[in-house]
Amino acid sequence: MRTLAPTAKGFISLATVGLVTVGFAPFAETISHTTVALAYLLAILFVATLFGSRPALASSVAGALCFNFFFLPPYFTFAVSQGENWVALAAFLVTAVVAGQLSSYARRRADESEARRQEIEQLYSDLREAFAQASQAEALRQSEQMKSALLDAVTHDLRTPLTSIKAAATTLMETGIDLGDESRRDLLAIIDEEAERLNAFIGGIVDLARIEAGQLDLKRSGVPVTEIISRAVERASARLSGREVVIEVPPQTPDVRVDGQSAEEALYSLIENASKYSPDDAPIRLSAIATPTRGVEIIVEDKGRGIAPEDRERIFEKFIRVGRAEIHSTASGLGLGLAIARGLAESMGGSVTAGDGRDGYVTAFTLTLPAAGPTIG
Amino acid sequence: MEPKRILMVDDERQITRVLRHSFLAHGYDVRTASDGESALDTIRDFVPDLVITDLQMPEMSGLELCRKIRAVSQIPIIVLSIKGEERIKVAALDAGADDYVTKPFGMDELLARVRAALRRGPAEPVSEESVLTAGDFEIDRSTHRALVRGAEIHLTPKEMELLIYLLTNSGRVLTHRSMLKALWGANAVEQPEYLRVFVGNLRKKIEPDLSAPKYIITEPWVGYRFEPAG
Repeated sequence: MRTLAPTAKGFISLATVGLVTVGFAPFAETISHTTVALAYLLAILFVATLFGSRPALASSVAGALCFNFFFLPPYFTFAVSQGENWVALAAFLVTAVVAGQLSSYARRRADESEARRQEIEQLYSDLREAFAQASQAEALRQSEQMKSALLDAVTHDLRTPLTSIKAAATTLMETGIDLGDESRRDLLAIIDEEAERLNAFIGGIVDLARIEAGQLDLKRSGVPVTEIISRAVERASARLSGREVVIEVPPQTPDVRVDGQSAEEALYSLIENASKYSPDDAPIRLSAIATPTRGVEIIVEDKGRGIAPEDRERIFEKFIRVGRAEIHSTASGLGLGLAIARGLAESMGGSVTAGDGRDGYVTAFTLTLPAAGPTIG
Repeated sequence: MEPKRILMVDDERQITRVLRHSFLAHGYDVRTASDGESALDTIRDFVPDLVITDLQMPEMSGLELCRKIRAVSQIPIIVLSIKGEERIKVAALDAGADDYVTKPFGMDELLARVRAALRRGPAEPVSEESVLTAGDFEIDRSTHRALVRGAEIHLTPKEMELLIYLLTNSGRVLTHRSMLKALWGANAVEQPEYLRVFVGNLRKKIEPDLSAPKYIITEPWVGYRFEPAG
């Protein structure tokens, strides 16, 4: 309505007044003046609301003229015979002008506040869009940072054993120094150990990539918990080198439904981690608890320095080592073991979490595996 | 002659194990430490002639260790760092390290750096003597004359200051930052272009072959090293 040309608005305004006039004119002599005046007022309010103050003013004047010409005696003249009709005409004119102006003013205010609302809405959506863009950029930046941190970690883990290998090899190649047989053998042993460490690191990366890509070939069946524990401990025996390992598995512990090899690998990573981060002579405890809902928990506890509560999730990220690497015995941590353990457990419907140990043990890693349930057949 | 004492600090036992064999075979007296705290303890009783430290260590970093050593001693420090840690390397040199070797390294290189650092000995307070001589250089501060390979060269006062600074720090890796601070004051440390201009001018006057400088050696990303014997 706001878009109409002023002449069109004026025409419609006058036509509205004309319509009321035509509608009531046949009954001019019988109908009450009040009814006619109210009908005009209604038309004027309609025009005011729709078109604003000027058309409202025009229709007020036109309405007053028509009211006088057609409905106030003597009819069809602009003369007014009785004094009270003058009053009625004047009252009509004043009421029409004021009501018209007021309602057009109210309309204008309503329009203004509508425009303001739209403006705010626009602003809000612009803001939201800008925010979304900013957070997308932030996420991108963070993932770039993450990538470069990962690259740094991989570089460090590859170059550290390479440094020992290169330094040992160049020492052995040196002529004119007397190394002695024992040193020579030790240098060769270091080259061998560090080559093995590089190989294990690369193997770990490949394992992790496989777990993340969901390419594991898992053959799940009922496996006794004691079997998983004894096989993992046996595999870790070189690393545990004579350290006391306490094993506590209640006789009624149910079997777990897992891929035996993957469960053993996950537990081995946890044992390796415990031995790496606790003093060489401190015992490690492996215990099993059957829970009614979650399955069987295998808990690995050590007497290391512990892990701060805020780091207990972070340590499962790839290449993360949390400020306690100084206690490791021979090969330093690769920062992959815990990520692999968790990945394997999760792919079998289980989990790995870190927490506090009990009975004097400081750190506890809990490997939860689904119970096998009643055997069929 | 008493063997020179070297303290090796690295949390990677395999590396200290290798270096120990090599240094012992070369007649050095070696001690190892696996963290900064025990390194500081060892420095107190062993009193080494040289410290070699890794930069990435848990608890106390190599950087912090350099600072702590420098607070009590001027013994030469060589830092070992994984390639790609330029920023940390520069920070270590600024924290007081004298040289760095990038991992992985060949033993020949490390041994050469060790020999150079031991030759240099602890940094001495700048001598007040008016005539400085080292390698191909001779500078008389009182008469403002400088000779290179016996021939006199004409230097501006700032170039003279730069040459004296290089000469008194021969063989050390000098970071851009430490040079700017020494020559132009603390406010100039973020303006490496000053340095590039002056080093360029000085090279034109002292280097026989500008395409292969032999006295003022560029240490990429880090700074310069001055070798007075060329």
